[in-house]
Amino acid sequence: MEAQAAQGASAPATEPVLTLSNVEVVYDNVFLAIKGVSLEVGEGQMVALLGGNGAGKSTTLKTVSGLLAPERGEVTRGDVHFMGENLLPLGASARVDRGLVHVLEGRRIFGHLTPEDNLLAAFSLKGDRRRYQQLRDQVFDYFPRLRERSRTKAGYLSGGEQQMLAIGRALMTEPRLIMLDEPSLGLAPVLVEEIFEIIKAINANEGMSVLLVEQNAAAALEIADHAYLVENGHIVMSGEAEVLRSNPDVQEFYLGGSGKVDYHNVKHYRRRKRWLA
Amino acid sequence: MTFTYFLELLINGALTGLMYSLVALGIVLIYKSAGVPNLAQGAMVMLAAYLAWMFTTMMGIPLYVSIALSVVAMFLFGLLAERVLLRRMVGQPIIMIVMLTLGLEIFLRGLAPGVLGSSPKSLELGIGLAPLIVGDIFINRAYLVGAIVALVLIGLSLLFFRTHLGTKLRAVSDDHISSWSVGISVERAIGISWGLAGISAVAAGVLWGSVQGVDWTLSSLLFPAIAVVILGGLDSIWGVLVGGLIVGILGSVIPGVLDPIVGGGTRNVVTSLVILLTILVRPHGIFGREDIERV
Repeated sequence: MEAQAAQGASAPATEPVLTLSNVEVVYDNVFLAIKGVSLEVGEGQMVALLGGNGAGKSTTLKTVSGLLAPERGEVTRGDVHFMGENLLPLGASARVDRGLVHVLEGRRIFGHLTPEDNLLAAFSLKGDRRRYQQLRDQVFDYFPRLRERSRTKAGYLSGGEQQMLAIGRALMTEPRLIMLDEPSLGLAPVLVEEIFEIIKAINANEGMSVLLVEQNAAAALEIADHAYLVENGHIVMSGEAEVLRSNPDVQEFYLGGSGKVDYHNVKHYRRRKRWLA
Repeated sequence: MTFTYFLELLINGALTGLMYSLVALGIVLIYKSAGVPNLAQGAMVMLAAYLAWMFTTMMGIPLYVSIALSVVAMFLFGLLAERVLLRRMVGQPIIMIVMLTLGLEIFLRGLAPGVLGSSPKSLELGIGLAPLIVGDIFINRAYLVGAIVALVLIGLSLLFFRTHLGTKLRAVSDDHISSWSVGISVERAIGISWGLAGISAVAAGVLWGSVQGVDWTLSSLLFPAIAVVILGGLDSIWGVLVGGLIVGILGSVIPGVLDPIVGGGTRNVVTSLVILLTILVRPHGIFGREDIERV
């Protein structure tokens, strides 16, 4: 019931930048990874996509960025629109040209290149040198640690620095929408806080829309405007971040709640989610 | 052995080695961006030599125009190889791609002599056969020209990989998926690297074709070239230079000493020992990158 009520209030106030409607993705022609996902990201909005392992969060992002093909995934149903344009016929690099960028899970920086060359590699060949320097300096302003280490091989950076570089590299493409896959993965809590604050600042200062995928729901709900909850390839709940934060189910199962797990409640919750989906 | 003779072996060995570097450069150009060791480079060198011969001798086009035409044709050949063969291999294990390049090598080795004739053809560059004599040392003029061309191309390659496009190509060799994720067209990058390897094959094919004639044996230059890239490191342009010099000098001085004793044929042994020992002792070669384990 709460889920339904929350969904009613979910329409973004502004024109959506990204719209997924009823998207279904199949891997290897057999494995159904997401089953009819619909979501919207509004202009300048920060949207969180929450859920456990294997819920379909990363697949949703790859659907948008066009990176399903190398993993033999395929969109079998539904539509993906970015700024009103149908994305599905476009290749991955054409989508980056349109203004969306995907920061992959596990950072995946170019380890044998210096941080500075990582940034240069992501900058468009059509851009001129002045613009490159502007963007690079902007990245270094957001992540001053990268400036200090700009000449060592990126593979030797710490996990947190690599995450910063991965985000900075994505900013070099001048996106309108940045999609982040698990930026908190494997990082110390202090660093998670630092990186999330920077993400919030980028969202606020640059007016850049953000789609944030996280297992760390507490941290994500802290900075997001809106959130969707994915389970088993379905969106099972969505709403304003504050509303979700105070939802008792979310508190119990995603935010740690009282600290003691009631298995009867887990079972009951699972069953109810299946019906709603 | 007199010192002069030793010096002569050394210098001519170094020059021959740089000529091997010309062949090896193509392998490194592709490896540095596509991450694939191209075993078809020997046949591409042969194909380039056949094309240059076809343009000059069969069609009577002036030499320099013929070389320019060959450069264009081999660049297109590289683009085509990516488009037709390698693009279909995305997501396949690396061993399948290596086998594909080996298949291409064998195919071209049969095709070009089959179409254009298998008897050795001469490709005249007008360098002249008379050796250059410095003091008491005889230097092979054709090899000297080849070595200079090799140095120029190695220098250009070093510069190229520092440019914006070159940086994108290096990024592609690091990680295809994350290259796509930031808008780099991996397909185009790999196509360009094959095209550049095609261009370097023209330099190698024309120069080697002029010294040993144009026929299928040019494709077996693949073996010394593999020794060069394994010793120097598959992804290092500097490795092409240093590896070429070492392979060339060892392959000249050691046979110079041993051949009179054992009756010849030691050069191939030297080349293969370079491959075997490097892989056993230093698998990444002298300058090759070791994979960074830090996560």
